Amino acid sequence: MINLDNTSFDCCIKCTICTAYCPVARATDLYPGPKYSGPDAERMRIKSPFLIDQSLSYCNNCKRCETVCPSGVRITDFIYRARNIRLKKKHRLRDFFLTRTDITGRLAATFSLMVNPLIKLKVTKFLLSLFMGISDKASMPEFDRGTFTAGNTTRHQEQQAFPRKVVYFHGCYVNYYDHALGKSVIAVLNAMGIGVLTPPQKCCGVPLIAAGNFTQVRKNAAFNITSLRRAVSDDSDMKIVFSSSSCVLTVKQDYPHLLSMDTGAIDDRLEFITKFLHREIKNNNLPPMQPVNLTAAYHSPCHLDRTGGMIHTIAVLKAIPGLNLVVLHSECCGIAGTYGFKKEFHDIGQQIGQHLFDQINQVNPDIVITDCETCKWQIEANTRYPVKHPVSVLAEAMNNE
Amino acid sequence: MNIAYENDYDCVIIGGGLAGLTCGLKCLAEGLSCAVISSGMSALHFSSGSIDLLGHHPGREVVFSPIEALPDFTKANPEHPYTKCGLDDVVEAMDFFQRETDTQGFRLHSNSRDNHFHVTAVGTLKPTFFSPASVFTREIKTVFEKKPCIAILNIKGFRDFHPVLAAANLNRHKLFSHCPVTCAEIELPGQKTAAYGTADMRSVDVARILDAAADLQDVARAIAVAAGKSDIIALPAFLGLNRYPEIVDELRRATDRLIYEIPTLPPSILGMRLDNALKSRFTAQGGIFIASETIESGIVENDRVVSVHTQNQEDDIRAACYVLASGSFFSKGLASRYGRMTEPVFDCRLDIPPDCTALSAETFFSPKSHDFLRAGVKTDGNLSPETASGRTVTNLYCAGAVLSGYNPVSEGSGGGVAITTGYKAAKQIAAHVRDKTHPEDRDGS
Repeated sequence: MINLDNTSFDCCIKCTICTAYCPVARATDLYPGPKYSGPDAERMRIKSPFLIDQSLSYCNNCKRCETVCPSGVRITDFIYRARNIRLKKKHRLRDFFLTRTDITGRLAATFSLMVNPLIKLKVTKFLLSLFMGISDKASMPEFDRGTFTAGNTTRHQEQQAFPRKVVYFHGCYVNYYDHALGKSVIAVLNAMGIGVLTPPQKCCGVPLIAAGNFTQVRKNAAFNITSLRRAVSDDSDMKIVFSSSSCVLTVKQDYPHLLSMDTGAIDDRLEFITKFLHREIKNNNLPPMQPVNLTAAYHSPCHLDRTGGMIHTIAVLKAIPGLNLVVLHSECCGIAGTYGFKKEFHDIGQQIGQHLFDQINQVNPDIVITDCETCKWQIEANTRYPVKHPVSVLAEAMNNE
Repeated sequence: MNIAYENDYDCVIIGGGLAGLTCGLKCLAEGLSCAVISSGMSALHFSSGSIDLLGHHPGREVVFSPIEALPDFTKANPEHPYTKCGLDDVVEAMDFFQRETDTQGFRLHSNSRDNHFHVTAVGTLKPTFFSPASVFTREIKTVFEKKPCIAILNIKGFRDFHPVLAAANLNRHKLFSHCPVTCAEIELPGQKTAAYGTADMRSVDVARILDAAADLQDVARAIAVAAGKSDIIALPAFLGLNRYPEIVDELRRATDRLIYEIPTLPPSILGMRLDNALKSRFTAQGGIFIASETIESGIVENDRVVSVHTQNQEDDIRAACYVLASGSFFSKGLASRYGRMTEPVFDCRLDIPPDCTALSAETFFSPKSHDFLRAGVKTDGNLSPETASGRTVTNLYCAGAVLSGYNPVSEGSGGGVAITTGYKAAKQIAAHVRDKTHPEDRDGS
């Protein structure tokens, strides 16, 4: 049957602006670009689904094509659906390792004292590359000790005591890699008189989508939707905040559009953390802060750009006293979630990111600020600057006191 | 500085094209806080990068000096945006725009205060006011009297430009009929090894190859050989997206000829350079540019816009003043259905000339152009529109192609109107905001 869920290819006027700004097409001529892979080929694919080629795998899901499209075509949805339905899955072991973060992340974080030095070893990298197709040139992020959720029970009581509360979707990054960010989120919100609830949650599924494992991502989505709905059910004003810009995009857009999941019950609650903070600041609810006296280069992650979300991040950063903010020209950092870790795409990822690294070096800031965890890894691995989440900078300004 | 604190910004501009960005730059220059909300890339990507002010008189006669022609023109067209802005502000706006782009390294040249001609992709000549330095410089006069030889070059296999077509049309024009025009092809360094070859390249791809080239000597040599003894060399506009000033200079120096670029098919390199220069300048000065967001609707109360609603963030943005610079039908600033035209954000009242409801015309390239281009938002002398109920909205200003009362194509005035009305809107907003925050109204801050 012909699938006519997304006929936005009819809006495409073939202007090629998407391909002109596609960071992958810019880096390699093996990728014909979003116009061809998306709306052009989709017209053929809806009738003849076998018309599919390996070049689709080059798309890194940065969604810059959609950001620049003047005609509102949902280009990446075409590419991802086609990829998922038709492309043969090759790297099953790697996909498991990179995408089933709830299993691998939990395991690695539990044994992080062992795992962290191990994954830095040349021999481990060699083996990962040989058997899993994970680039031995990519620098692997370090796991935190244990999980963030392990502290949930102790936190629960004190957080419940706040009259106003939000639900916090911390995502895998905070859970397995960076508890400090999660603690900063809680500290900042608590300082603003808001309690933070962390109901059970699974990986949002963004790496699964990239690997085309839609069965598993639907399971995760169903779990998350139920858990979040339950957590906000007795307070009609309670928001659900995310500290990861990709998680929020996945839940808000990919769940309903790409996976046809019903998010109606929570849709108007879902907010990226800076959107929530921006509104609080507008209502004069600011945590007490001291000047930080820093020059910061702000890199807006692709997925935040796609939804216009940087308007809030910039507003929040401007509220931090003593922060000299330089907004960088928006470019993909090249890591694109798991893309840059994959052996066959690592070099393309590095080439993509180089334009951003050059920009940062030129600004020569004290810190780089970005909302996205994988952008942070990539920038830290390729420049000499510390990279921080906007909320971490806020928390530091509070601690300056 | 956000002068009025209850608002997010002093000014929110809907539309990130030529009008919106000019308006934003002027707002920043006036010390206002400002956000530009853009829904994807603007029509600059379809433009030649040259800025027209007034190219043709109503009878299709070419205008040689727009500044001299404007007093009579505005007298004859009382509803024209230029008339509403006033001649002084037209000149002031164009100067401001030239200064701003210049500061960002995008140099615009003019023929003193007169129009010059730029060569189009098909080799016709178009009168225009500003052109990028790679398209027009006054140096051309030094060789023009001496019957210069012209070479129009292309890169082998590049399909978006046809030198023979351009040469044939150029020779038909009286200015160039006496000039010998030759055509030739050059090869790009590394072209033979490229996986897809130039046949699949767009000008953007070529521009990036040149941007990344460590050494342009090979390119310069190839150009010099292909151009033979020509005095002027024309190439499709692909001489770099970022390093274009150096690339053009270096090639000119190395070949010792006048090298000019000819605008090509969209996405236009010349338009992208201008777009990039304006956005960079705007952001560097503290403006907030949002690339992918759509303003769905606005709330108007007591003849003022209170807030506008965003589609992606599902959020309300509040500002002291708003600018509607959302473009014409193509950019979705105006919408057309059978028997009805609307302005989708505020449902502003439109000015629709009677002839423009005709759905088709005999000829596409009609000398009269198409009447629907004159349709747009009806505004008062301050560029403020009216709501559907006929009341003027006092803190909303319109700029650029969303406006009625002019035909950008037949007049050759699109760029000039965008810049002038964007500038004028910002000037009025500055006065408006200052008025509202007069010392006695302000609390301690």
